[in-house]
Amino acid sequence: MKWLKWLLGIAAFAWAGQYVLALLLPNLAMETLYLLGDERYGHNQLVVAPVPDENSRQVVRPSPDLLYASCLYNLQDGALTIEAPVPERYWSMQFYQMNTDNYAGITNQRDERDRVGTIAKVTLISADQSPEDYEGEVIQSPTSRGIVLLRASAIGDRTEQQAALDASSCSPTAPS
Amino acid sequence: MLKNLSKLTAAAIITIVLSAVLLARTIGAGLNEMNLQNGDWVTSTATGTKDANIMLKATVALGGLLASAKKDSMYYRLSTIAGEPLRLNCRYRIEGTDYDANWWSVTAYGWDNYLIPNSPRRYSFNNENLVRNGDGSWVITVAETEQPGNWLPIGPAGAPAWRKLTNHDFDLLLRLYTPGEAYLDTPLSAPLPRVTREACQ
Repeated sequence: MKWLKWLLGIAAFAWAGQYVLALLLPNLAMETLYLLGDERYGHNQLVVAPVPDENSRQVVRPSPDLLYASCLYNLQDGALTIEAPVPERYWSMQFYQMNTDNYAGITNQRDERDRVGTIAKVTLISADQSPEDYEGEVIQSPTSRGIVLLRASAIGDRTEQQAALDASSCSPTAPS
Repeated sequence: MLKNLSKLTAAAIITIVLSAVLLARTIGAGLNEMNLQNGDWVTSTATGTKDANIMLKATVALGGLLASAKKDSMYYRLSTIAGEPLRLNCRYRIEGTDYDANWWSVTAYGWDNYLIPNSPRRYSFNNENLVRNGDGSWVITVAETEQPGNWLPIGPAGAPAWRKLTNHDFDLLLRLYTPGEAYLDTPLSAPLPRVTREACQ
């Protein structure tokens, strides 16, 4: 009967353990993505990805109908400025913290259509910095590290969208 | 003492492995109370938000990292039809019309959550590149072998088969970018493509 106690114990702990693993998984996945990306491309700079295909295995479920550019950020040394020309077709700039939450975003859709044809300029600051110290559009990151992801439509003629991503940047904010 | 320690270590390792397998199966089967079912399609309006519970966040971490929140995009996933997992040895038919969104697409992913290797390098259809009928409706055929019309090829996932923990061989993802009110307010009844199994070998 001793082995039955062991089996029941293992089953109970395994059942509870899946929730513990689930709790750890988001940060683990983001940390892995961040570390691998940082090692390959560095941080605080924008990297434009090729159009996704079967060889795109850095991030799960890439869309072959989207163009992507990303910036792994670390705000420990100060704020970052993200500049991006906004094309006519679908475009967005989404901000993710290290627990996978999409905590902020801007787009050229809905009531933000007036961004089309302009250059979006966002200052990204950390939680301990004050938005009042910066001019223009300011986004405050809940964590000092995270990922900014630019998406642009790859449907039809993608020339304008590709040019928009190629001309985008993510770099330390110049002192005023 | 040493015997007990090695027993405990073995039990701990088995427990961790079992926990990982249970979690993978829970996520793979979409067993999460935050999931919303619309026919065979499954979605969640909390994806990417701080409202997501731990299982949904884990699901996103494994199968949808960097998904955006619903106002930007809604994702409907289909991995079973009437409880039957999608199989590579079957042919499926997706029928639809147009959907209220800035753009939408249907993409096939392997069980490993990546695009499926295939020689025509066709991974999805979107609202612009589908061949449509005269009334605007369309049909996509999902199969391993070449099909007439809108053929969405499937095949073995790129990852080694021994890592497979899901029941399905592949799944379908409907993306709706800048979704209309029906998807934001009533995601359980909003119009979606119809997927049926035509035949299996």
